[in-house]
Amino acid sequence: MQHLLTEQQDARHTEFKVFVASNVEPFAEQWDREQAIPDSTLSLLATSGYFGCCIPPDLGGKGWDVVTFGLLNEALGKGSSALTVFLTVQTMVSMSLLKWGTPEQKRKWLPPLAKGEMIGAFALTEPDAGSDIQSLATELIAEGDHFILNGTKKWISCAQIAAVFLVFGKLKQHSVACLVPRDAPGVSVTPIHDLMGFRGAGLAEVRFNRVEVPADNLVGRPGFALSHVAPVGLQYGRLSTACSGLGLLRGCLEESIAYAARRKIGDRTMGEIGMIRSLIARMGTDWEAGSLLCHHACKAQDDNLPVAFEKTLMAKYFTSRAAVSAASNAVQIRGASGCHASSAVSRYYRDAKIMEIIEGTTQIHESMLGKMLIDQTRRLK
Amino acid sequence: MVTEIENDIKQTLRDFLLASINIADLDDEDNLFELGIVNSLFAVQLMTFIEKTFDLEVEADDLDIENFKSLNAAGAFVMKKKSRRNI
Repeated sequence: MQHLLTEQQDARHTEFKVFVASNVEPFAEQWDREQAIPDSTLSLLATSGYFGCCIPPDLGGKGWDVVTFGLLNEALGKGSSALTVFLTVQTMVSMSLLKWGTPEQKRKWLPPLAKGEMIGAFALTEPDAGSDIQSLATELIAEGDHFILNGTKKWISCAQIAAVFLVFGKLKQHSVACLVPRDAPGVSVTPIHDLMGFRGAGLAEVRFNRVEVPADNLVGRPGFALSHVAPVGLQYGRLSTACSGLGLLRGCLEESIAYAARRKIGDRTMGEIGMIRSLIARMGTDWEAGSLLCHHACKAQDDNLPVAFEKTLMAKYFTSRAAVSAASNAVQIRGASGCHASSAVSRYYRDAKIMEIIEGTTQIHESMLGKMLIDQTRRLK
Repeated sequence: MVTEIENDIKQTLRDFLLASINIADLDDEDNLFELGIVNSLFAVQLMTFIEKTFDLEVEADDLDIENFKSLNAAGAFVMKKKSRRNI
């Protein structure tokens, strides 16, 4: 895929991989065990400008293209899926605001989000509304010149430390999105621990109990939160997850190749055994295919093409499943040592499964993609 | 009075819609939402197509069902956005 990158994109990818090798990979197991990312690491991401990757420079960001955003996620994804989630979610919130926020909202919220001075969370999922986002129970009620927000959000990544939530709910029968600062009276955050994977991603349940929301904090117009605001955030969430999954897949491939080259069985290395070669061949081919899907999706997003959504669904659908398969095979190649926390592949195995769940399950992706492709029959003629 | 430019815009939109959704034909006044052919993913795809094809930006203030409910409505919306930009 390297030949598809510009010199600058390629150079930045190298910079990202160096950053990950020094600042992420040596600590990822500890973060996983302690179920938290240290503030110092998030500060490093912030000072590197990574949180503002896609935000224009006049709003405090780097203004990098989406292909570069994908490369950053790929590099971070190899190091730590949990850390990558902070970039995923920050970008979901930021890009939703960049597209649909008022000029005042952009000036107020985007610079601190871009600089990482403030962490955001995308509060969409509810205890009884995951993939079925149309059945949100969170509700806003108009009261004078503001709104009163009531509801509960669950499985919200980064919510443990987020300073602002982009909350989705209903206003009468209309879907709405609004910004809610963490310190607003009536907001309470309960950490969720002991997840199978993404253990440092700071998940929490967030309750809103008669929280006063100024009218100025509504994002987009009522009635369009689920049809237009959320899909922009989810698009970046899927791009990020697809590329992060690709990074995890590369981690499995590199670990497996290295292990197969040094581990001996009798007088042969594992790499000389046909069955091991088969497993590594599958990983390598999936990595190559996933790289192309991710690149095409990111490039289509850069070019603001309608097919970007379809390509992104395909990239996320493919790499998340390929990551699960690669992680399973990487553990298999390592044997007992692959089942221990001291080996990155045991974490990869747990993290990869989460990628098939977040930003739309594999089955939701199949449903959406299947419908899209069937609806496009005329295009094929 | 509907101009030739507006008719071209509507034809471009019709071609995109017919290539993207599984329906036989689409009249200028057919309501896209009542027909149930616009889900959330397709809504942003349509928005992106309009932005890309007609070189304009759909903004928060433009989020109004009246702007996108039919070919006539979307054609008028594109004309309105382009004329504002030319002022």
